[in-house]
Amino acid sequence: MSTKATPAVLLEKCSKWYGQVIGINDVSLAIDGGVTGILGPNGAGKSTLFKLLMGRLKPSSGNVRLFGVDPWVSTSPYRRVGYVAETEKLYDWMTGHDFVSTLARLHGMTREEASDRASHVLDFVGLSDVQNKEIGKYSKGMRQRVKIAHALVHDPDLIILDEPLHGCDPIARTSIMSVIRDLGRQGKTVLVSSHILDEIERITEQIVILHNGRLLALGNLHAIRDLLDKHPHRILIRTENPRKLAEYFVPEDPVYGVRFAEDGALEVLTNDLSAAHEVLPRVIVDSGLKITSIENPDDNLEALLGYLVGGAS
Amino acid sequence: MMDRQGRGLAETVWTRLDRKAGAITELTIRQLRHRLSTWVVLGVGFLLLICLLALFIGGVRDGWEPIDNDNDSHDWDGDGYPAGQEYKYGSDPMDGYSFPGSGEFVEEGSFEWGSVGLYSGNHTWRWATGVFTYNWIDENPIGGEMLEIQSLSECPEGELFEDFWLDWGDGCRLEENRLVVYDASFIGNGTFRVQEGYYAEWGYMEDSFDVEPEPASNYIDEDDIDWTGDPNKINGFDDDGDCLRVGWPDESTPEWDIWGNWERHDPDGNRNGVDCDVEWITDSDGNIIAINPDNNVDEDPSEENLAYEDAHRAFIIGTGKIAFVMILGIFLPLFLALGLVRDETENGTLHYLLSKPIHRGEFIIYRILGYLVVAGGFVLIMSLLMGLVTASLGPGDSIFRLKDVIVWLGIAFATILALAAYGAIFNTLGLLSSRYGVYIALVIGVYEFVMAVLTLGGAELIPVLSVSHWTLQLIDSIVLIVWPNTIEMHIIADAFNLPSGITAFWNPPAHTLGTESPFVSGLISVIVLFLITSLMILFGQRQFKRREIM
Repeated sequence: MSTKATPAVLLEKCSKWYGQVIGINDVSLAIDGGVTGILGPNGAGKSTLFKLLMGRLKPSSGNVRLFGVDPWVSTSPYRRVGYVAETEKLYDWMTGHDFVSTLARLHGMTREEASDRASHVLDFVGLSDVQNKEIGKYSKGMRQRVKIAHALVHDPDLIILDEPLHGCDPIARTSIMSVIRDLGRQGKTVLVSSHILDEIERITEQIVILHNGRLLALGNLHAIRDLLDKHPHRILIRTENPRKLAEYFVPEDPVYGVRFAEDGALEVLTNDLSAAHEVLPRVIVDSGLKITSIENPDDNLEALLGYLVGGAS
Repeated sequence: MMDRQGRGLAETVWTRLDRKAGAITELTIRQLRHRLSTWVVLGVGFLLLICLLALFIGGVRDGWEPIDNDNDSHDWDGDGYPAGQEYKYGSDPMDGYSFPGSGEFVEEGSFEWGSVGLYSGNHTWRWATGVFTYNWIDENPIGGEMLEIQSLSECPEGELFEDFWLDWGDGCRLEENRLVVYDASFIGNGTFRVQEGYYAEWGYMEDSFDVEPEPASNYIDEDDIDWTGDPNKINGFDDDGDCLRVGWPDESTPEWDIWGNWERHDPDGNRNGVDCDVEWITDSDGNIIAINPDNNVDEDPSEENLAYEDAHRAFIIGTGKIAFVMILGIFLPLFLALGLVRDETENGTLHYLLSKPIHRGEFIIYRILGYLVVAGGFVLIMSLLMGLVTASLGPGDSIFRLKDVIVWLGIAFATILALAAYGAIFNTLGLLSSRYGVYIALVIGVYEFVMAVLTLGGAELIPVLSVSHWTLQLIDSIVLIVWPNTIEMHIIADAFNLPSGITAFWNPPAHTLGTESPFVSGLISVIVLFLITSLMILFGQRQFKRREIM
């Protein structure tokens, strides 16, 4: 296969401006194989990146290659690509099976082939029992999954999913995540974007972080995360008596301090988040206090970005 | 080159293209089917055509009244004799005191022009304008028009000479026994005072005899067109004798010319040396190119032969041009084609379609194809429905007029070409500007309608920059191919002053490159329409290819 020589996705010094606004700024990137999470807050350039890959946008400078071909010029790489766009609009009057098989025919399949493949992928995304229902009656999670099914119908080598978990309930989220992990296990190249760190963490370790159109980090999420763990973290604990709870936390090793937040919560300060979490259950049991909530306000994308941006400057 | 299944490369590429085309076309059809506006516009079109068909069927059921083309069956002056019989006897068809057998007026005296004066006595008064004070007046003369004096009450001073029909002339009643008359003829005993600046004469009628009035039907369809088919023979025959005047009581009777003046009868108006004939001029192929009839020859033909056929064709051509091309042809694309690509872009559903290995240019073509299946299918079905009805109910000996159906199919073909051209134009407009495209399309729709009206009126040059002009010419060409004698009917209707719908709705094709051949004009029209469609699709493709889709 030629994929060895040419990666599925390749960007070379690629930039895209919308007038004065920057979408993507001087990004170079090569991705091939496995599931890659594209992380970044809203407006970081995730969708712009995908639209460049899908030939919807023309790069202002630099090159975009999909299996070695410029997608703005040729549609030929789409034979090997499945794209789940951000759009939430679907043909509501169609049934799920209809939608997927109609789009399958755009790959040149016969009616029968398309119908078989549609049934197959709808089963794969767990929609086989509702495939003959109109899409208009689908829940949010079903709509996302039918979009994924259409992208998989031609058995592509590269699958691009733009915010596939956006707006889904926890059950739909879990099932979509497992579909994505399965695809990765099948050896496909999968790009999945999200602005929620936790979601990506549950799918893949390989991430690309975009921020303000720039490529901020690329690599293993755990490695990046470990770096983050060694930096000051807060654990917010709400309880009936924060002062009493503080007495139990102070002697613990990973904890270097406590603070009382204005709303009556206890802020536990640590330099080693995972170690702190290890001692947390024991301390709470020892204190015998009733805990109403535990939060890790620093364990999110914003904190990670803050750390990465801060570290870079 | 062969693929794994052993199919040739060309075959594989084509079948794949085929499947994609089929999928997008089918998707487009199903989308249109799920839109309310599609059903509204098709429903309105259907109702329009059904109304026209109802009018047509109503017209057929009412039957065809024979038409008195030369207007000589009517008794204009109310004296009981149809005008044709009055012509024959040389009496004045507009004067109730002048009728077959009424005798001669013998003048006894008259006022001098412009003088003021009085004259008394029991007389027949003619051309009288003034005040008549009477002790006796014929209130029931032949023609009966004098009776109407009774119904008039007064004639206010200053408003004389209005609202009154006194046999021949106007007048009104001033008092019980005083009339004001204007240019009137009547019989009465009294004193006449002529109006200053006017005139009157008096006398008596003599040599009267009895003539039985003929029924009006004798003067309807009484002179049919006589055409031997050979221009070298003598053609045309004066069936009713009003040109030859053989055996008329007064063969030298003058007649009204078109300006209302009396003139001497001229039996050889076309100056070909033969009295009372019709000169048919044909070209070398035997096609009639001109007709010069003598006056009063073949002037009241039976409608059976010409007018029914003319009206029938006029209905088909008129409906085809106005309802199909000018209304359906412009409105269906406005509703169905404008959003073919624009709506997908606005909805965001375009992303699903463009993620597939399909070229954006192809996408536009297949979308237009899908729209054409819906709009064109509708037009085809409606034209066949119209064809079935007109072919079954039309005039003629055959039970089913097959040529009607062929003309309707031609109309459907022309309309579908127009649908393609307008579809391509409007779709491109929707692509160029999703916000203002619809307004520009409306302006173009109005422009096309105006150009079509100009084309119907016979304009050949100004409307060439329009789709409708070429579509209408294509219909004109197809009509002439299927019914080659349409031109002759056109010329005959003109020559004998017959009412003709064909002259209103049909024009001989203008752009024949000098060949006069309807095949050439038809082919040119098809090529022009095809070119317009292709250019607009290409333009739309160029725009769409360069478009960044957010």
